[in-house]
Amino acid sequence: MLDWLLRSSFNPLTTVAVWSIAAVLVATIVLFAYTLGLRVATITSRRRRTNLVLRWRDVFASAVMSARNAGKVALPPLRKAHRTDVLEEWNRIRDSVQGEAADNLIVLGERMGLVDVARRRLARRALKSQVLAVQTLGHLRDRDRYDAIAALLPHPNLALSITAAVALVDIDADRAVGVLVPMIEERRDWPRNRVSMFLRMAGSERISEPMYRAIRAADDETRVYLLQFARLIEPEVLDALLNELIRTTNDAGVLSAALKMVSGLSTVPRIAALTRHSTWFVRMHAAQVLGQLGQREHLSLLEAMLDDPEWWVRYRAAQAITALPFMGPNNLRRMYERQTDRYAADMLRQACAEVGLA
Amino acid sequence: MTLEFFVSSGQWVFFVYFVGINLGYLAQNVIASYGIRKYLQTADQFEAEAVFSSLDIPVSVIVPAYNESTSIITSVRAMLQLEYPDYELIVVNDGSSDDTLEKLVREFGMRPFPEAYRDRVESKPVRGIYRSTRHANLRVIDKENGGSKADAINAGVNACRFPLVCVVDADSILQPDSLRRVVRPFLEDPTTVAVGGTVRIANGCTVRQGFLEKVGLPGNFLALVQVVEYLRAFLFGRMGWSPINALLIISGAFGVFHKETLIEVGGYNPAAVGEDMELILRLHRVMKEKRRPYRITFVPDPVCWTDAPENLADLKGQRVRWQHGLGQALMLNRGLIGNPRGGTVSWLAIPFYMIFELFGPIIEVAGYFFILLCGYMGWLAWPEALIFLALAIGLGVLLSTSAIMLEELSFHMYPRTRDLLLMYSIAIVENFGFRQLTALWRLQGLIRWLSGKEHKWQTITRSASVVDQA
Repeated sequence: MLDWLLRSSFNPLTTVAVWSIAAVLVATIVLFAYTLGLRVATITSRRRRTNLVLRWRDVFASAVMSARNAGKVALPPLRKAHRTDVLEEWNRIRDSVQGEAADNLIVLGERMGLVDVARRRLARRALKSQVLAVQTLGHLRDRDRYDAIAALLPHPNLALSITAAVALVDIDADRAVGVLVPMIEERRDWPRNRVSMFLRMAGSERISEPMYRAIRAADDETRVYLLQFARLIEPEVLDALLNELIRTTNDAGVLSAALKMVSGLSTVPRIAALTRHSTWFVRMHAAQVLGQLGQREHLSLLEAMLDDPEWWVRYRAAQAITALPFMGPNNLRRMYERQTDRYAADMLRQACAEVGLA
Repeated sequence: MTLEFFVSSGQWVFFVYFVGINLGYLAQNVIASYGIRKYLQTADQFEAEAVFSSLDIPVSVIVPAYNESTSIITSVRAMLQLEYPDYELIVVNDGSSDDTLEKLVREFGMRPFPEAYRDRVESKPVRGIYRSTRHANLRVIDKENGGSKADAINAGVNACRFPLVCVVDADSILQPDSLRRVVRPFLEDPTTVAVGGTVRIANGCTVRQGFLEKVGLPGNFLALVQVVEYLRAFLFGRMGWSPINALLIISGAFGVFHKETLIEVGGYNPAAVGEDMELILRLHRVMKEKRRPYRITFVPDPVCWTDAPENLADLKGQRVRWQHGLGQALMLNRGLIGNPRGGTVSWLAIPFYMIFELFGPIIEVAGYFFILLCGYMGWLAWPEALIFLALAIGLGVLLSTSAIMLEELSFHMYPRTRDLLLMYSIAIVENFGFRQLTALWRLQGLIRWLSGKEHKWQTITRSASVVDQA
C-alpha cells in the first residue's frame, strides 16, 4: 500500500521527507501518549496521596499533642511506594511546629524508621531525593550525618545547598553558625529570605559575634551584602557595628545600608554631616534617620534638604518633617509659606497631603 | 529555461526556509525543556515558602488604560490583592474618552493629590494625580492622550517610587503570587534589568471579585487557537531564548524592569508600534554599547491572564500591529544586527527573527501562491507536494504537542482532561486555515511597516472573561 510513497523514482529529498513524516508522527504519538499518561498518573497519585496524607495526618496530629502519644500511637504500614509522600507530609508538619511538639514528631519519625529511609536517600544520586533526605535528617536532628550534609554546602544545586544549610542549623546550631556565616558571602546565589531564615533559626545570640566579625573584615561591597542580615543580630552589637561603620567609612553603599538600620542617637554628629554627602541615597537615608530621631535641632537640616536636587532626598526630608511630633499644621503651613524654592514647596505640599494636612 | 529556473529556485528557497524554521523551533524546544526542568527543580523547593521577607524589593505596578471602562475595575481589584509585601499600583488614564477615570474615582474613592511629579522620561502632560482614600498604595495619573501605550507607561514611570517597575495591561489579571515569582530573578542576579512572565488567555476562565476563580478553555474558536498559540510562544518561544540571554521580547501585558535602567535607556518609545519589543531590543543595544553585564530573563510560572480577540477583525488588527512593530523595532535598533559584541542576540536571535519572523510571511504566502500556481499550471508533482504538506503540518502539530506536554509537565493549568484533548485537536485544526490567515495578516503588517504608515491605540471588543462575573 505504501509502495507509491517509497517508490524509487522519488528524489532523495522526498525520501528523506517521507521518513521525516514517519519520525514526526511517531514523536507526536509518543508525546501525546506521554502527556495523557502523565495526566492519568497525576490524577491517580493525587488521589492516592490525599487518602494517604489524611491517614497519616491523624497520626502526626496525635504525636504533636503529647510525648506519650508519639511513643505509642499505632502506625499504619509504611509501604515503599508511599514513603516520599509520607516524608513530605512529615516534613511539612515538622516545619510548622517548634519546641516540645517538634521533639514529639522526632520521636515519631524515629519510630517510623525515617532516619534509615532518609539516610539511604541521601546516598542516592537523584537530586530531589537528596533534597528531601537532607531536609528530613535536619528535622530529625541526625548528628551522625552532620558532616555528610555539611559536605553538600558547596553543591552547585541551589536547592540542595540551601536545604543543607538549614538542616545544619537544625542539627547543631552552634557548630553550624561557624560554617555558615563565612559562606553567606560566598554563596550569593542563596535566596536572601532563606539566609535570613536560617540565621533567625540559629538565634541572634549565636550569630551576633560571627556576623560582627565577618562584616568588619569584609570589603565594602561584601559589607553592603552582609548588612542586609545585620538586623538579625543583637541590638547592642548592631549599634556598635553601625556606629563604627558610619564613623569610619565613606563608601556610599555601606553608609546607605548602615543608615537604614540606625535607631540610636550616638551617631548623630556624623549623620548630620551626611546630609551633605555627595551621593544622593546617602543624603536620603540621612534624612530618614533624622526624621526617626525626631530632634528639634535637626529641623533646620531637614528643611535645607527640601530643595535638594534629588527628588527622593526632598521627598524623604519632607516626610521626615511632617512626621516630627512637634510640627503641627500651623508650623508646617509657616514652613510651606517661607519656601522660596518651588520644588521644596511642592514636595512639602505633597508630604502634607499624604498625612492629610494639605 | 527561465520558467524552469524559477520553479526550481522557488522550490529550494521554500525548502531551505522550511528546514531552517523547523530546526530553529526544535532547538528552542530542547533548550526550553531543559530550562523548565532546571527552573522547576529549584522552584519546587521554594514553593512552600509563602512567608514574606523584608528583603523583597518594592515594586511599582503600572497599569496604562485607554477606554478600559469595562475591565479596569476588575483588573485593579485583582491587582490590589497581589501577594506581595510592598508595592504601589499606578493606573495611568491616557485621556480616555469613556468613563474609565470616573469609574476609578467612584469605585476606589480617589481624591486629587498634589504630587511633586517629575518628568524623567518623555510623556504628554499630566492633568491630575489622584490618590485612593481606601487603598494607600493606589494612585491614578490622569494625562492627556499621547496616542500610544508607551506614552502612558512613561507617565507612570515618572510617578513611580520603587526600584522595580511592573507593567501590566489593563485588560489583564495577575495571579496573586505572580509578582513574588517574577521578582525572583532580580533577587538572584543583581545584573537583571528585565523579567517577563507567562501570559495566558483569560477567555473561558471565570473571574470573581478580581480573582481568577476557574481556569477553562473558551468556546470561541479563535480564542481557543490562541490558547495553544500562546502556550507555544511562551513555553518554548520565550523559554528557548532566555537561558542564552537572547530574549528579544517581554510581553507588554506583563513585564518587570529595573527602573533606573529603564529611565537610563529613555523609557518606552512613544513612536514605537511594538513598544514592548522595541524596549527590550533597546535594552540589549544600550547595555552592549556600554559593555555592562546584564540579564533579560523569562520566568515561566508567574502567570498573567489576558483577554484575546474573539473576532477576525480584532485578531487581524492585532497581528498586523505585531508585525509592523517587529519590523520597526528591529529597524530602530539596527545597531544590534551583526554587531561583533552582540553575542547571541546579534548572531542568533536577531537573524532568526529577521528571517523567520519578519520576512517569513513573504516566503510563506509566496509558498502558498507558488503551490496554487504550480497546481493550476499542471507543474505540481502531487505525491511530493502532499508529502511536504504532510510534513509541514506534522511538524506544526509536533511543536504544539510538545508545548502542551511542557505545560502538563510543569504548570498543569488546565485541570480537565477534556481541555487537554481539545487543545490537541486544535493543534491539528489550526493548520488548516488559521495559520495561512495569520501569514497573510503578518504580510500585511510587514507591508504597512515598509510603507511607513502610522499606528494608533486600538480598542478591541472584550470577551466577557475579564469582566467580573460577580
